[in-house]
Amino acid sequence: MNRGPFIFLGLFFILAASWAVTLNYPQGKSGQLTAIGSGADRLPHQSLGLVPKGREVYQELGCVACHTQQVRFSAGNDVDRGWGERQTVARDYIDQNPVFVGTQRIGPDLTSVGTRLNDAEWLHRHFYNPQIDSAGSTMPPFAFLYEESKIIGEASNNALVLPEKFAPKAGKEITPTRKAEALVAYMLSLKLDYDLPEAPNAEKVNY
Amino acid sequence: MSLINNICSTFCPCSVEQSPARETESSIDASMRWPALVMIKASAFWFILAIALGLATSVKLHSPSFLGDSALLTYGKVKPAFWNALVYGFVFNASLASVTWILARLSGQAMRNNVLLTVSVSAWNVGLLIGLVGIFIGDQTPFALLELPNYITPFLFVSFLGIGLWGLLTFKARTFRSSFASQWYVLMALFCFAWIFTAAQIMLFCSPVQGAFQALVNGWYVDNLFGLVLAPLAFATIYYLIPKSFGKPVVGYRYAGIAFWTWALFSAFRGSAEMLNGPIPSWVAIVGVIASFALLLPLSTLAMQFLSSLFGNFNQIWDSVSMRFIFAGVISFVLYGIFDVYGSLIGVNETIQFSLFDSGVKLLALLGFVGMTAFGGIYFILPRVLNKNLPSSLIEMQFWAHAMGVMLIAGGLIYGGHSQGVLLNDSTTSLLSIAKISQSFLFLSTLGMAFLLFSAVAFLVTFFWMIVAPRSASEKSALFVKAAPDMECSAS
Repeated sequence: MNRGPFIFLGLFFILAASWAVTLNYPQGKSGQLTAIGSGADRLPHQSLGLVPKGREVYQELGCVACHTQQVRFSAGNDVDRGWGERQTVARDYIDQNPVFVGTQRIGPDLTSVGTRLNDAEWLHRHFYNPQIDSAGSTMPPFAFLYEESKIIGEASNNALVLPEKFAPKAGKEITPTRKAEALVAYMLSLKLDYDLPEAPNAEKVNY
Repeated sequence: MSLINNICSTFCPCSVEQSPARETESSIDASMRWPALVMIKASAFWFILAIALGLATSVKLHSPSFLGDSALLTYGKVKPAFWNALVYGFVFNASLASVTWILARLSGQAMRNNVLLTVSVSAWNVGLLIGLVGIFIGDQTPFALLELPNYITPFLFVSFLGIGLWGLLTFKARTFRSSFASQWYVLMALFCFAWIFTAAQIMLFCSPVQGAFQALVNGWYVDNLFGLVLAPLAFATIYYLIPKSFGKPVVGYRYAGIAFWTWALFSAFRGSAEMLNGPIPSWVAIVGVIASFALLLPLSTLAMQFLSSLFGNFNQIWDSVSMRFIFAGVISFVLYGIFDVYGSLIGVNETIQFSLFDSGVKLLALLGFVGMTAFGGIYFILPRVLNKNLPSSLIEMQFWAHAMGVMLIAGGLIYGGHSQGVLLNDSTTSLLSIAKISQSFLFLSTLGMAFLLFSAVAFLVTFFWMIVAPRSASEKSALFVKAAPDMECSAS
């Protein structure tokens, strides 16, 4: 115990063993998954367009601080809360880099938010000020993703329809920036509406 | 004018008489003066910054519109900035100030390469500051305690290697062939940080592992950071200061070796426990749960050693501000260990998963266990490197404010997080109602942060007061610091 090299070697082997057993081995064994099928039938579904940009906004604003993206089937009550019908498994995440699994649920899980809240206008209103549709929410407002501008001629197509209390002054309108559009596109793309053979759900467990 | 005079006399060794009895010790202290002061100053700066960010984080959890108009200060940015400033800023600097001085003292001679330490630590702090700015301008990564942007992490890594190299050289240069538990733990912290940081960076950013396994790597990193880097830094300080202050060896010191190896082994394997029920193979998480439970063995050994030593000399604890902080640190350590193991058990884990329970336990470790222990070390070092008295009454107030703050934050988040977890995982109460119910606990944590802000300001004032205060006659005397027994080298 008095020798430096002895301490170093001991610690090196302990960490190497921990790394090999809990990270490298499972990663090598089940971390090389591929998608099932291809094209439109590909599982998990691939989303393009604004979605990658939306993921960047999600990361930049640190949404992962309060929202998870994982559904547990055998523990908790994620299924009863309507956050998903089945356990999320490693294959669901193969296209995600970096991954937003998350560790805290100050807000709801977002794995299938695109199914649950399939309404872009609602999402925009919610980001602009969460108190509009969910009074008492602890979600911060993201009004800085929206622009207030004077209405010139006709109002913009994508202007937010806000209740009187939250509406801008007469002659002005609130429109989403590109970041807001991308974030909403990303939210709408989050769906767990497909089944994977290895994922436990109610049907398989009862059987 | 007299202010400049005072500051000069603080740093000028000729203003203090030399004592032949403590020649080695004073020469080591003199050689460590600059690195120690740089780290203590940095820790004071980071502590204020971290607590200000922590206060904002805590307020935002119950009043979301607070600073809500600013894209720079949204919750998702302030929270990672708070955790990174607290861990890599305050806790790293404060603990390193304490353990590098201890390592230098234990090596028994003044080192000539201390400029390496000063430069590396300064580089680390500059890098961290750039990293925090990066988080605010939107370059953060989504991984807990690895949020610092990728462009700054190589720089931080190289700075840390400088600190590690200094530690290695100082350990190698020791005049006693035998080594003491404090030295083992410092080596553990320095070596393991380089190891886990490299592994996490490679597996997350250089050649990222597939999807869900990134979360596993993140969990592994965070738990190893607490178990193999931050906790050992605190153990090193506790093992050194208990015998130094009481003039008696640590009770049961001969079990220090077994505690060291079992702590390393079980801490290293427990990182996967938080992925229980997650999208990874379940046996991996079970390994983590088993290792967490096994951690009770080193935990009880360490707690037995520290608590027996402290309670055996209870009347002396309150005589020195330094031991007071160590005592509070040890109590926090025992509580942290119990809550941490409890939270990993199957059954409990499902209940507290995704709640604030884990944040409460981690803040208890950072602010209570490691933070208060580091304060104990710093308040032991400052009089020795500056040959000046501590402003004890201010530090006494700081102690109570800090202890109060830790109790409110940890109590609020651990108890509140547990009840939040019960509602979250065992009922279908809506998240809006849960937020409303949790509010009272979050107010407690905000109040605790306010207490800590006082502690942070008091720490900064103490530091600058020590620098600018005039040197009294007794502080010029060679007998100002009493010679302490070389207890650390005897085993029983």
